[in-house]
Amino acid sequence: MKRVQSLIAVATATVVASAVAREEPVDYVRHVRPILSAKCFFCHGPDEATREAGLRLDEEQAAYEDRGGYSAVVPGDPQASEVVLRIEETEPSMQMPPPDSGKSLSPDEIDVLRRWIEQGGEYRPHWAFEPVRRPGPPDGAAAHPIDRFIGRRLTEQGLEPAPPADPHTMVRRVYLDLIGLPPSPEEADRFAANPTDEAYGELVDRLLASPHYGERWARKWLDLARYSDTKGYEKDRPREMWRYRDWVIDAINADMPFDQFTVEQVAGDMLPAPSTAQLVATGFHRNTMTNEEGGIDPQEFRFLSVVDRVNTTGTTWLGLTIGCAQCHTHKYDPITHKDYYAFFALLNNSDEPTLALPSAEADRREAAVGSEIRALSDSLAERYAAKAATGEAPPLEDAASQWAEEIRGLLADWTPIRPEQVETNLPSTEVLPDASVLVSGDVTNADRYDVKLDPATPAVTAIRIEAIPDESLPGGGSGRRTITENDGAGLGGFLLTEVEAVAHGPEGDRSIGFAAATATFTPPGLEPAMAIDGRADTGWTVHGRQRERQSLVLRFAKPVELSPGEQLKLTLRHDSFYPAGLGRFRLSLTDSELPVEATGFDEPTAKAIRTPETERDDTQRGLVRAAFLKRTPVLQAEHDELAALRNQMIERPTALVMRERTEHPRETHRRHRGEYLKRREQVEPDTPSVLPPLPGDGPADRLDLARWLVNDANPLTPRVVVNRYWQAFFGRGLVKTSEDFGLQGEFPSHPDLLDWLADEFRSNGWSRKALHKLIVTSDAYRRSAAHPAAADVDPENRWLARASRIRLDAESVRDVVLESSGLLSPKLGGPSVFPPQPPGVTEAAYGPLDWVVSTGEDRYRRGLYTFNKRTAPYAAFSLFDAPSGESCVPRRDRSNTPLQSLAMLNDEVVVEAARAMAIGLVQNDSAPRERAVAAIRRCVTRPPEPQEVASVLRFVEQQRERLESGQLDALRVLNAGPSIQWTFDNGAQGWTARNDARLVPADGRLVVDATGPDPFVGVDVEAPAGRYTLEFDARLAEAGSIELYWTTLDEPTESPERRADAKAPADRWGAYHLEFATNGPLRTLRLDLGAGPGAAQLDSVRLAYGDGLVSLTAGDDPVELAAWMLACRALLNLDEVVTRP
Amino acid sequence: MTTPLSNKHAGAMQRDTPTDRGALRGVTRRHFFQDCGVGVGKIALASLLAGNPARAASRRADPLAPKAPHFEPKVESVIFLFMAGAPSQLDLFDYKPKLAELEGKPLPPSVIGDQRYAFIRPDAGLLGPRFEFAKHGDCGAELSSALPHLAKVVDDIAIVKSIQTDQFNHAPAQIFFNSGFPLPGRPSMGSWVTYGLGSEAEDLPGFVVLSSGGGTSGGAANWTNGFLPGAYAGTPFRSTGDPILFASNPPGVDERAQRDTIDLVQALNRRRLDRLADPAIETRINAYETAYKMQSRAPELADLRSESEETLAAYGADPDAPSFARNCLLARRLVERGVRFVNVYHKGWDHHSDVESGLRDQCGQTDQASAALIADLKQRGLLDKTLVVWGGEFGRTPMVESSAANNRVNGRDHHPQAFTMWFAGGGVRRGVSIGATDELGFHVTDDPVHVHDVQATILHLLGLDHRRLTYHYQGRDFRLTDVHGHLIDKLLA
Repeated sequence: MKRVQSLIAVATATVVASAVAREEPVDYVRHVRPILSAKCFFCHGPDEATREAGLRLDEEQAAYEDRGGYSAVVPGDPQASEVVLRIEETEPSMQMPPPDSGKSLSPDEIDVLRRWIEQGGEYRPHWAFEPVRRPGPPDGAAAHPIDRFIGRRLTEQGLEPAPPADPHTMVRRVYLDLIGLPPSPEEADRFAANPTDEAYGELVDRLLASPHYGERWARKWLDLARYSDTKGYEKDRPREMWRYRDWVIDAINADMPFDQFTVEQVAGDMLPAPSTAQLVATGFHRNTMTNEEGGIDPQEFRFLSVVDRVNTTGTTWLGLTIGCAQCHTHKYDPITHKDYYAFFALLNNSDEPTLALPSAEADRREAAVGSEIRALSDSLAERYAAKAATGEAPPLEDAASQWAEEIRGLLADWTPIRPEQVETNLPSTEVLPDASVLVSGDVTNADRYDVKLDPATPAVTAIRIEAIPDESLPGGGSGRRTITENDGAGLGGFLLTEVEAVAHGPEGDRSIGFAAATATFTPPGLEPAMAIDGRADTGWTVHGRQRERQSLVLRFAKPVELSPGEQLKLTLRHDSFYPAGLGRFRLSLTDSELPVEATGFDEPTAKAIRTPETERDDTQRGLVRAAFLKRTPVLQAEHDELAALRNQMIERPTALVMRERTEHPRETHRRHRGEYLKRREQVEPDTPSVLPPLPGDGPADRLDLARWLVNDANPLTPRVVVNRYWQAFFGRGLVKTSEDFGLQGEFPSHPDLLDWLADEFRSNGWSRKALHKLIVTSDAYRRSAAHPAAADVDPENRWLARASRIRLDAESVRDVVLESSGLLSPKLGGPSVFPPQPPGVTEAAYGPLDWVVSTGEDRYRRGLYTFNKRTAPYAAFSLFDAPSGESCVPRRDRSNTPLQSLAMLNDEVVVEAARAMAIGLVQNDSAPRERAVAAIRRCVTRPPEPQEVASVLRFVEQQRERLESGQLDALRVLNAGPSIQWTFDNGAQGWTARNDARLVPADGRLVVDATGPDPFVGVDVEAPAGRYTLEFDARLAEAGSIELYWTTLDEPTESPERRADAKAPADRWGAYHLEFATNGPLRTLRLDLGAGPGAAQLDSVRLAYGDGLVSLTAGDDPVELAAWMLACRALLNLDEVVTRP
Repeated sequence: MTTPLSNKHAGAMQRDTPTDRGALRGVTRRHFFQDCGVGVGKIALASLLAGNPARAASRRADPLAPKAPHFEPKVESVIFLFMAGAPSQLDLFDYKPKLAELEGKPLPPSVIGDQRYAFIRPDAGLLGPRFEFAKHGDCGAELSSALPHLAKVVDDIAIVKSIQTDQFNHAPAQIFFNSGFPLPGRPSMGSWVTYGLGSEAEDLPGFVVLSSGGGTSGGAANWTNGFLPGAYAGTPFRSTGDPILFASNPPGVDERAQRDTIDLVQALNRRRLDRLADPAIETRINAYETAYKMQSRAPELADLRSESEETLAAYGADPDAPSFARNCLLARRLVERGVRFVNVYHKGWDHHSDVESGLRDQCGQTDQASAALIADLKQRGLLDKTLVVWGGEFGRTPMVESSAANNRVNGRDHHPQAFTMWFAGGGVRRGVSIGATDELGFHVTDDPVHVHDVQATILHLLGLDHRRLTYHYQGRDFRLTDVHGHLIDKLLA
C-alpha cells in the first residue's frame, strides 16, 4: 500500500509543476503565472465581461494599483498584499478563489505566490510572445548543439542518458520517422555492419530524398488542414480535394521553404500571376465543411467556415487558442473579442470557386462532343429528307413555310434593355455589354433582384427573361445553384419562384399584372406560369437544361404605359430551401400586340420568320428551314439527342480554391456571444494587438496575413512549427501543449533549445529537411528506449534521457503492415482509393456511399490515400485515433484498446498481408528456422532472439498438425486455392449451351446466340467447398443482368438460393466479379447472359477459390502456406510492428 | 480527496502518461485479475503486488476501468432512444385542441418573432393534431392514439413537454444534442460518461451505438470521442453480421487457432516487455486478452434466440432481422452486462409531408418496443439502475408544411422552440408531466428545459456534476454543457 501512495506522490508532483524548491528563486513566467492563469484570470483576467471587483491580475499596473488604501500586490510585502491575505483567508465569504468556483489553491501554490511577492512581485511578459532569441548552445562536451541543451538539463535533473540504440533499432526508427515505412532487413543489416556517423548521415540523406518522405509528412500537415474527401454534415457528399493533398506532398518533397509553403496555402491566389499550383495550394482553407442540408441558412454556415479558418490558422501557425475569443474576450490570453473579429476580417473577403484544371483529356472529350453536336446538327436536313422521301414527312420547303406561317404571330420584335439599377438582398451584380446581368457574391435561400428599367417604348406588352449560361457560374450553367442531387444534377440551375412588376414612380408603386407565361423549356410536370402564380414554393426552372440559353416570356395583362418619372420595376424572387438564384439573365421588352410566346429564336431568325413568305430572301429562307429542322416533331429523337449532348457535363478535373474579392468587399462585424445572428459594430481587418503589427499601411488583407505569419517579427510561428516537429520525433513537444502556446499552455521543458531551433529553422531558409536532419542526427534522438531508472523518475520522458516508444499513426499502421508483407504500392499521389473494409461501415451515415473496393495496386496504397468520409470514416483508422477531418488536429491521441487488437487480428488487410508474406517466405526454399527469422525480421527488423524463433517454429508446427489432421482447412485459411481459367482460345473448353442458346465458333471468346427467351450456358467443374470468386469479361447485346447459378455435390439442382448477379450495360465489354460461397464441393456453374435476343459474348473466365487475389499452382503446398500465414498474422500483431522503437 | 475528474487529472488520463488515481481504485472493482483465465492477468497482478511502477502504470492506464462518480449515483447506465429526424410532439404528446379549431389560419407574426425555418414560410397556416388524444394510467397523462403501448407504461415515465434547442437543422441539432455543440468534433455524451465513470463491462465496449431506420444526419459526430482519448468513442454495433467490427475470425481460423495466435503474440510481447519495461506493452497485452473475450462473448450477446418467446413477443423483435425492436432488446442485454451508455438511434421522423401516416409508420416501428423496454427493465429490477431517455433533436411546427413544388402536404417543419421528451428510470419521478407550451404549442410557457439542462440532468443521475466533468484541451476546460445547464429539478425524484 505504501508503494502505491508513493506513486501517487510522484504523479502529483509531475502534474503540479509549480511546486518550487525552497531554495530556488520563484520565476514569474514559469511558476507564478501558471497559477494565476489557472486559478485567478477567469475572474481577474483580460475579459472585462466576467471581471470581478474591477480587478485584473494579469497586468502589473493593475495589480500594483492603489485600490483605496490597499493594493492587490505590494512588491516585497506579502503581508500588505490583498492577494496574499485573501488566498490565506479561511472564512468562505472572503476566501479566494471562492469555494464555490470549483477552484482552490494548494499550500504549495499559496507559498509560491507569497514568495513571489516577497521577492519583488515582478511581472514579466509571456515567454511565447517575446521575440525569438538566439541563445548559444551551452558549453559541454557534446558535439551536437541539441545535445548540449539536453545535456545541461539532464545534469540538472541528475539523470544519466541511456546508451545509443542498437543499429537495427536505429534504422527502423529513422525509417519510420522520416518516411513512415519500415526498412528491409537487408537495408538494416547494411547499416548495422557499419554503424558510423557517416553511414548514418548518408542513410538520413537517402530517406530525406525519398518521395515517401513527402507522403509521411504530408499526412501530419493534413491533420492540421482538416483534409477530407467529403463535405461533412448531413449530406456529406464527396468532393474533389486530392489535388491539394498532392500539392502538399510535392511541396514537402521539394523542401519548399516553410514560409513560402505558408504564403501559398493562405493566400496563393493573391500572389502576382499565380500558377495553378499556387491556386491549388489555397485548398488549405477550402477543407472547411459545407452544409448542404435542405433549409439551412447558407450565410450562417459560411460564417462558421470562416470561424473554422480563424481557429485553424490560430492553431496551425500561432499555437494560439484564438477560437476562444469568438464568443467573448479570451479568458486567459490577451486576445480581445474585437481582436478575434479583426482576424476574422482578414479571412472574410474571399469567394470560394471551383477551379477547372487544364486537362487534355477533358479538352479532347469536349471537342468530341462538339463535333458530335455539329455533325448531328448538320445532318438534320439529310435526315429530314430521308423521311420526306419515304412519305413519313411532307417536303421540307413546304413544311418549313407552313410552320413559319403558324408561329409568325407568336414572335415579337424584342429589344434587350439595359437595367438602370439592380438591387439585391445580398448578391452582387454587374451589367455586361450585352445588357445581361451577371450575379456573383453571396447567396441566401431567398435571393431577390429588384431591377429598374426605363423602357423606350410607350406601351410594353410583354417581357422576356433569358437565362444565359456563363463560365463563371457553377457547372457553366445559368443559375447559382451549387447544391446537387447525388448524381450531380442541378448544378448551375435556378428556381425563379416569382416575378413581380410595378410601375415605380415618385408617388409610389402601381402594381402590374401578368396574363400569361411561356418558356422555351420547362421540365415535365412543371409550368412556366409557376413564376407568376403568387406562390413562393413554385417557380420556373430549366433543370437538366441549364447549360443552354432558355427564356421565359411574361405577357402583361394590358400594355404597360408609364407616366413621366415612372420606371418599370421587376422583382425576381428565388425562394427555396437552397440557394437558387439566376446567375446570368437578360431582360428584353416588346410592344408587339401579338400574343407573343417564348421561342428562343435569335433575332435574324425571328425576323426571317416574321417576314411574309413571299418577301423572304434566300438567306432568310435558309434560316427558316434551319429553325424548322430544329423544332419539327419529325426529328424529335435527334432534338433530344442534341439537348442531351449540349447539357452533358464534361467532367473536368477541379480543385477547390480561394479567390479574394476585389469588388464588393465583405464587411466584418463583431458577433455578440459569437452568434451569427447577433451582429454588432463593424471591425477592420487586423492581427491581435498583443502580437507584432502587420507591416505596411492601408487596409490589410489575406496576403498580408499570410506574410505576417512568417514575418521575422512573429515569434510564434517558428516556435510552434519546430515544436510540432520535435513532438513528431520525440512523442512530446518541448512545449507539451503543442496546440497552446498561450498562458494556459505548458512552459517549455527546454526554452533555450526551442528558441535555438526556431532561429535555426528560420535562418536555414525555413528548410524542413535541414531541421529534420538536425534533429535526427542528435544523440538525444538516437538513444535506446530501455532505461528503467529514467522511466521511474521521468515517466513522461520530459528530460529525454531515453527514447520514447511511440504508437504509430493509424495510416502508418496500415503502411507498415503492407510494406512488411511486400504488398504496399509505391504509387505516389492521385485520387483517393477505397481499400477493403467490413461491409456496413458507411451504413450509419445519412448520405450513402457505395464503398466499391479499389482494384489492382489501388487496393494496397498508403493510408493517406484512403478515401475519408467525414460522417463514416474508414473503420480501421478511427480505431487507431485518426482524425475525421472535421477540425484542425495538432496532436493526435494515441490509444491502446481491445478494438485495435481485434482490427489487427481480423481485418482483411492484415490477413491478406500475412498471406502475401507467407507466400514470399515459402517460395524461398529455406529451412524453417531461416524462414522464421526472415518472418520476424520482416515485421520487426531486428534479428530475433533464439527463444522467439523457437516460439514461432512451435506455433507453425502446432498449426501444421491441425491443418494436416483436417481440424483446420488450409484453403479456407488461405482464402485462396487453385483457379480454373477459360480463355476460349481453343474453342469452348467445356462450356456448353444449356438452354435457349447455341454457341457460335469465334476466335478467342465464347459467343452465345439466343434461340429462345432464356438463354444460358454452363460448365462442369470439380472444386472443394468454400468461398469463390468468378471473374469474367462479358458483353450483352442489350442491357440486362448476368446471373450465376452453381450446384454442389449435395445440392445438385439450381436454385435462387445459389445465385449471384450483376448488372450489365448494352453492347459494352465489362469486367465482372462475383463472389459466392458453397456448402459442399462445387460441381457446375451456369451463366445466364441476359434475356433478350441477339448475341452475348464471354471471355477470360476465371474461377478462383477464396478472394481471387492469388491462386495456388501445382507446386504449392497449401498446408505449409497456411501454417506460415497464421504465423505471419501473429507476427504482424506484435507490439513492435505498431510502435516506433 | 479529489475526484478523478478535476482538471489536472484530465490531462493525465491520456494514455502513455498514466497518473490517474481513480483508475487505481478501479483495479479492485474490475475483477480483472480474478477472472482472467489465461495467465497474463496473473502476471500483471504479481507485478502490481511486487510494486513494479511501470507495470502498475499499465493497469492504471486502462481508460475504461470504473471510476468513482462525484456523488452517489441514481443509475449506472443510460439507454438513450434517439428519434432522429424529430417526431412531432403535437401529434404524440402535447395535445392542442386549439390547433384544430384554428386549422388553416396563420399565426400572428408577434408569436413567430424572428424564428427562421428550414422549409416553410412563417405565415403558413396552422395544422390540427392528426390523432385523437386520451388520458392514460393513474397519472392521467394525455397521449395520442399513435402511442397505444406507451400508454400502458405511462405511470413509469416522466414526460417533459418544454424542451428547447438552439438548432433548427438536423445535423447541427443532433450533434448539439449529443455533444453540446452544433459543429462536429466535440465529445459526445456517451464519451463524456465513459470518460467520467469508465465501464463495468469488462469484455464489451463501454459506449455502444445501435441504429435502425437508416443513417442519422449527424453521422459519426453523434458518438465521437472528439478530443477525449479514443477509448471513449462510441462503438457502433452493426445490425447484421457481427455486431462489433472485426469481431469475427478470418475465414478458416477457428477459436483454437485464434487462441494459439494470441498466445504467440502475448509470449513475444512479454519478452519485449521484459527487455524494455514499457508499460504500453503491458497495456497492449491486456488489450489482446480483452479483445479475445470480447470476440467470444459478442456472438452470445447478439444472439437473441436465447431470449424467451414471451420477451421477444413483448418487444415485437425478430431475433434475426434488424429493427428498432431488436435494438431495444439488445440495449437491455448490454446494460445487463454493465455497458455504461447505449445510444439507440432510430431514423425516420422527419415528416415534412403527411405527418399522420409518417407517425403511424414510425410509431408502429418503435412504440411497442420502447414500452416493452420499460416493462422489461422494470420486471428485471434494472429500471432502478438504468435511465431511459426518449426524444429527437427538435420538435415540429404547429404550422403546416405544404408545397406543390416539393410534393408536400399536411406536414410539419422543424421547430426548435418547444418539443417533448420522456424519461424513465432510477432517480426520475414516475407518472408526471412537466412543462407546458402555449395553446398553439409554439412557445414554452412553463418550466423551459434546454438541451444543456437535459445533458446536465443525465450526468447528474449518473452521479456526475456537469460543471466538474471537464477535460483540459487547447488551453481551456471543456464541458458537455459548455457554460450552461441546470438540473431539471421537477424531473428528479
